[in-house]
Amino acid sequence: MTALSAYRTDATLHLAARYAIFVVLILVYGLAILVSEAFLQPSYLFNVLRQVAPIGIAAIGVTFVMIVGGVDLSVGAVISLTSVLCAVQMNGDAGNLPLAVIVACAAGILIGTLNGLACALTRVSPFILTLGAGIAVLGLTQIYSGGTARGIVSPGFREFFNYRIFATVPVLALAFLGLAALGLIVQKTTLFGRRLYLIGSNRSAARLAGLPVARTIVLAYALSGFFGALAGIALLARSGVSNTLSGQGLEFQVLAAIVLGGTTFEGGRGGIAGTVAGVLVLVIAFNLVNISGLPYHMQLVVMGVIIILASAVHGGLNARTG
Amino acid sequence: MALKHRTEKCAAVFGQSDAQSKWLRPARTDVETVGIWALLAAAGLAAAIAIPAFRDPANLANILRQASVLGIIAIGQTFVIAAGMIDLSVGMIAGLVVVLSCLILGGDPSLTLAVVPMMLVLGATIGLLNGILVNRLNLHPLILTFGMLSILQGVIFTITDRSVGRASPFLQWLANGEIAGIPVSALLLLVLAGLAQLVFTRTRFGYHLVAAGGNAESARRAGVNVRAVRLACFVISGAFAGLAGLLLAGRLGTGYPLAGTGLELDSIVAVVLGGTALAGGRGSVVRSIGGVVALAIISNVLNLLEVSAFVQMFAKGMIVIIAILLNQPRRA
Repeated sequence: MTALSAYRTDATLHLAARYAIFVVLILVYGLAILVSEAFLQPSYLFNVLRQVAPIGIAAIGVTFVMIVGGVDLSVGAVISLTSVLCAVQMNGDAGNLPLAVIVACAAGILIGTLNGLACALTRVSPFILTLGAGIAVLGLTQIYSGGTARGIVSPGFREFFNYRIFATVPVLALAFLGLAALGLIVQKTTLFGRRLYLIGSNRSAARLAGLPVARTIVLAYALSGFFGALAGIALLARSGVSNTLSGQGLEFQVLAAIVLGGTTFEGGRGGIAGTVAGVLVLVIAFNLVNISGLPYHMQLVVMGVIIILASAVHGGLNARTG
Repeated sequence: MALKHRTEKCAAVFGQSDAQSKWLRPARTDVETVGIWALLAAAGLAAAIAIPAFRDPANLANILRQASVLGIIAIGQTFVIAAGMIDLSVGMIAGLVVVLSCLILGGDPSLTLAVVPMMLVLGATIGLLNGILVNRLNLHPLILTFGMLSILQGVIFTITDRSVGRASPFLQWLANGEIAGIPVSALLLLVLAGLAQLVFTRTRFGYHLVAAGGNAESARRAGVNVRAVRLACFVISGAFAGLAGLLLAGRLGTGYPLAGTGLELDSIVAVVLGGTALAGGRGSVVRSIGGVVALAIISNVLNLLEVSAFVQMFAKGMIVIIAILLNQPRRA
């Protein structure tokens, strides 16, 4: 093989690694249309977006952490905590709404910051650390709520987020798309976004180059906590009921979507656009599982297979492109 | 100087603080090797002095019974972690065995002889699958076994979302019975831990596994079949998780689908408390068991003090965080 053709193969693989998820998205969507015509209707599609908004919003935040080479498994527990916090603070009164949202976001940011500090200042495994943090936060949520559903959603809160503009676009779906755009802007245009990739691909080199490594890592985790809180609020808006276990297990779906989108556990790769595509592929796959009449819990199996296969494929492509 | 450097390198490859490395470096009393025994003694003494109910022999036997399920899983996990990997699927393997064994047995004692080996083979097979996939796909074991956790959970819930079947009398005896006042399950754990410790410190496989965990590339160049070692570690871990599942089925008496939830993290915490670095290359089965007993004592004390389950959950999370923060890989 000549140098040039080797270069071409490399470039092709690089392209493949980068855009694989979008091709997969088109293929899965095509399959979905073949299975059910409903996937052609805008109202159904926007409903799917509304349905997946909490997971999608959380996935945006965790993507930042994974680009920088970490992982945040406490996100499911953060979603539970913030949705209960928000409901209790609202207490059925529209006047309490701003305070409730601020309290929930502050809690998310605080947890994220603590995770970030532990990961930035020590060399612990973020995987195990955030797993432990998730259990602790779940315990806190249960202590706070007494183990039962507490709090009453403000009147108008649920109605606002589920209102359909032009009778098709739910506000919640719009909020997801808006936050995704915001995340994409942060990732693509800010210094912070650029540093994430540099630190994620080589932490010690980044430190030697004088980048503020610790600060960037803490900020990434704080953002993950913040988006987790927004996801908790979105979940509350979707269901209207606060449940102490509502976020349990969502971290699996979040991780599956992110890995599917090409952001690896090693860090330094991927991005928000891939994550959003990953979220869409996941939700379409789930809908297909439901439509095809497979048992509901097969979703967990599908997710596990996706995490393993997507990691393997991306890992293989990355190893060959270097 | 040069000699000292070489000795240290050897110690890094065969980073065992047992028999071999005693020759290579002076015996040290550090947090890694002594910490768990200090914690165990402190927790045990404090509990025995402060809480009269803790000293009750029946309570102590109960602690051992509780420790046995996690202890058996922790033995397998120690092998995997010392080899530089991690196994997050063990809890769900145990959970699957709980559901399947009770479902098949339905309380029928005559099936026990068939079901017990079947479940051990099932656990080992899932472990084998983990090992093959780790080797073939070149995936980080953390990711692979995390995916496997999700898959197995889906399988369990697809089989049932409520308790099914009934354990056989033999399994119940194994879990709850006593020989001369000592719980059968604790004796089983003792025998298995002793055997595992021998394999760890006295066999070629034990040395190879620690070498592979310390530095896979060096080990490979030194002629260790790293892939085979990894495969074997996952098979051992899966089989032990299967056995723990049988014990758990006997304890619960019925196939509870959530039985195995969280055991993977508990076993990792126990191993970490035992001073085994998550980076691999070191480890001791006996110390991991020490970690398990320490966890069991803490949980027992919280129960005796009637601390709510929610506060216990919070405490557990904090123990994970503190243990992992104290157990940091040393700077190279």
